Amino acid sequence: MALEMLVVDDSPVTRKMVRRAIGLCGLEIGQVHEAGDGAEALSRLAEHRVDMVLADINMPVMNGMELVERMSADAELSKIPVIIVATPMSEQRIERLLDIGARAYLAKPFRPEALKDLVLEILGKGEGHV
Amino acid sequence: MSEANAELLTDILGTVLQESAFMFVEPDQEPIEWGPQVFAATLAFESVRGGLLRLTAALPVGVELAANMLGTDADDPEAVENGRAAISEILNVIGGAFVTRYFGTKVPSQLGLPQALLSSHPATGRRTAAAVVRSETGEPVLLELDLEA
Repeated sequence: MALEMLVVDDSPVTRKMVRRAIGLCGLEIGQVHEAGDGAEALSRLAEHRVDMVLADINMPVMNGMELVERMSADAELSKIPVIIVATPMSEQRIERLLDIGARAYLAKPFRPEALKDLVLEILGKGEGHV
Repeated sequence: MSEANAELLTDILGTVLQESAFMFVEPDQEPIEWGPQVFAATLAFESVRGGLLRLTAALPVGVELAANMLGTDADDPEAVENGRAAISEILNVIGGAFVTRYFGTKVPSQLGLPQALLSSHPATGRRTAAAVVRSETGEPVLLELDLEA
């Protein structure tokens, strides 16, 4: 079944870049929804079925950290894997993100193959499961 | 820890432009003559020390960056519209690369939100180090660091 994705980033250019990477990575992708911040992402999640969220951290209104916390606290939303796609950050911050419920972290800039490998790992179809 | 000097900034700027937007650049020492309009962006950061990064790019550079990032041609209206957003995103990635390379990944660092605008003049201010590169078409890009004492 085609994967429904949600891309969360305050930069329209980055959202389009991530969409492009998703398109290039060779996975069967259905609809790709977009949100400009965490609050908008929660609205999209209430409206659409989404299999995976790709979210930035550094965003206005509601950042990616709070989005992950809100999703983790919700029985249904906590089942949706979140990949953090963000600029390089400290080990402590990455650990914190994984602790609160993010499934993986992908540093910008990234290659489509790296995204594909992570998605497959999360879906349990890669060489090493997350 | 790397030194906060022109060499570090040149390396980060060149790497990020190449990896994020497929733009190949060469370091340059010549004085810059900006065109009538430039993209000027700033990004504050907090870590062991706080500071500010400023990125100034000639107008065609911003449009080319957007085109490359979006996978369109530079004369595509979408590329022209997204030049400012492309410069913001490039500075965001530069900021992440700078704080992790200069301060390391063991200490917490925080980036602000990049602010970019199309201006008739580059942003100015105190600077600790700076790097200039030129695109393959000779257009300048300037990265400046203002590191708090």
